[in-house]
Amino acid sequence: MNIYINDNKSVSRRSFTKKALGIGFLSSLAVMNLPGSADAWLDEKIMERDDLADGIKELIKTYDTTSPYPVKFYDGLVRVHLRNLDFAVKKGLHKEHADHYSSTLAPMIEKYVKNAIPIMGKDIFLWANFERTSCSYQLYEHIDIKENERSVPCPFKGILEYQNSTVGTYSIKWGDVCNKWCIPVWENFANMVQLKIKVEPGETCRITLV
Amino acid sequence: MDSISRRGFTEKALKGGGALAVLTVLALPEKAMANKMKFSLKNERFLNRNDLSDALKSLYTTYDSTAPYPHKFNETITKAVLSALDFCIPLGIEKDYVDHYITTMAPVFKGIKLSVEKDGPEKALRGLFEETTTSYQLFERINVKPGERSFPCPYKGKLDDCKEWIGKYNGTFKYEWKDVCNKWCVPAWNGAAKEIGVKLEIIPGEECRVKLA
Repeated sequence: MNIYINDNKSVSRRSFTKKALGIGFLSSLAVMNLPGSADAWLDEKIMERDDLADGIKELIKTYDTTSPYPVKFYDGLVRVHLRNLDFAVKKGLHKEHADHYSSTLAPMIEKYVKNAIPIMGKDIFLWANFERTSCSYQLYEHIDIKENERSVPCPFKGILEYQNSTVGTYSIKWGDVCNKWCIPVWENFANMVQLKIKVEPGETCRITLV
Repeated sequence: MDSISRRGFTEKALKGGGALAVLTVLALPEKAMANKMKFSLKNERFLNRNDLSDALKSLYTTYDSTAPYPHKFNETITKAVLSALDFCIPLGIEKDYVDHYITTMAPVFKGIKLSVEKDGPEKALRGLFEETTTSYQLFERINVKPGERSFPCPYKGKLDDCKEWIGKYNGTFKYEWKDVCNKWCVPAWNGAAKEIGVKLEIIPGEECRVKLA
């Protein structure tokens, strides 16, 4: 079973544990002591869910919508993020908005990611920030994983362009999403664990540890 | 799905056509059926998507995450709204946040208003709930009755999770569930209804009910 499924590279639960244990006995003890980190992953209990029917209906409803453009799982989430950002930009509070969002997740980063980096290496930061977080399960249609690098198709561009060309009430442009939301939020996360990242925005956005 | 079974096709042919038509169909049975099936598949939007594998992976990763609580498709969108309220409420700008929603959605509401004028007020509920893509993920299900919609509140449990897993460590998410109802859902829906030209009665709860008033 894969922790994250990816066309190029995947990390299975078993190989992840192996990797963790391979670091050494003390390290593995430290990993075991990271409270909740292990059981927060995919846990192979999908077959025990009694709400799968609702999930499947949502999948069909979403992917049966192809007009005016093919709707994907990230559609609703992206629309809320864009609306929030447009509001913050119009209020002149986009920095505070990005800082607030980052700070709400600070306890998780402090508690889990910061402690894991000395044991598992800095790539764990990207793992936690991208493929591990439940927000990514819908936001990024897929994530390409390389050591110390992740790239993702930008979920915001198409929907913002559609919104701006049809409804036309937002003042933000695609560059605002990169510069006033994604980049500051990711940089805030990296600062919390004393790492530096380089973000190359684009239709495929690339995030590299430097 | 717009498909037709072999039996259904024969029945339809025998019912709808006269003897000559039936004879014609019987003379070309496989070809006619194959053409119909090809036609129906070609026009089936869902089956023609080439990104269904990504969708299935998303379904799997979401619903296979059951700790510390079972994740659903409304997980992330709900958190994004709750996070925005957590940003706005302490700054006292939550009313502006609602006004921004109503203003930026005004052209969409105008479109719904036109269909209400043409087809009746039920169109208002359809436009606000089951026909918007945001609600596909936000509401796990929507019970549809004439003049009324009800759905499980996506925010209550998630706000509790945010308090438990985040707020208790850094003092965020101090507001209460009723604030989500009174400072977001109710004013946003009432504001939308005003633009559309209808009145709503909103009965918040774990199963939230919205009725045409």
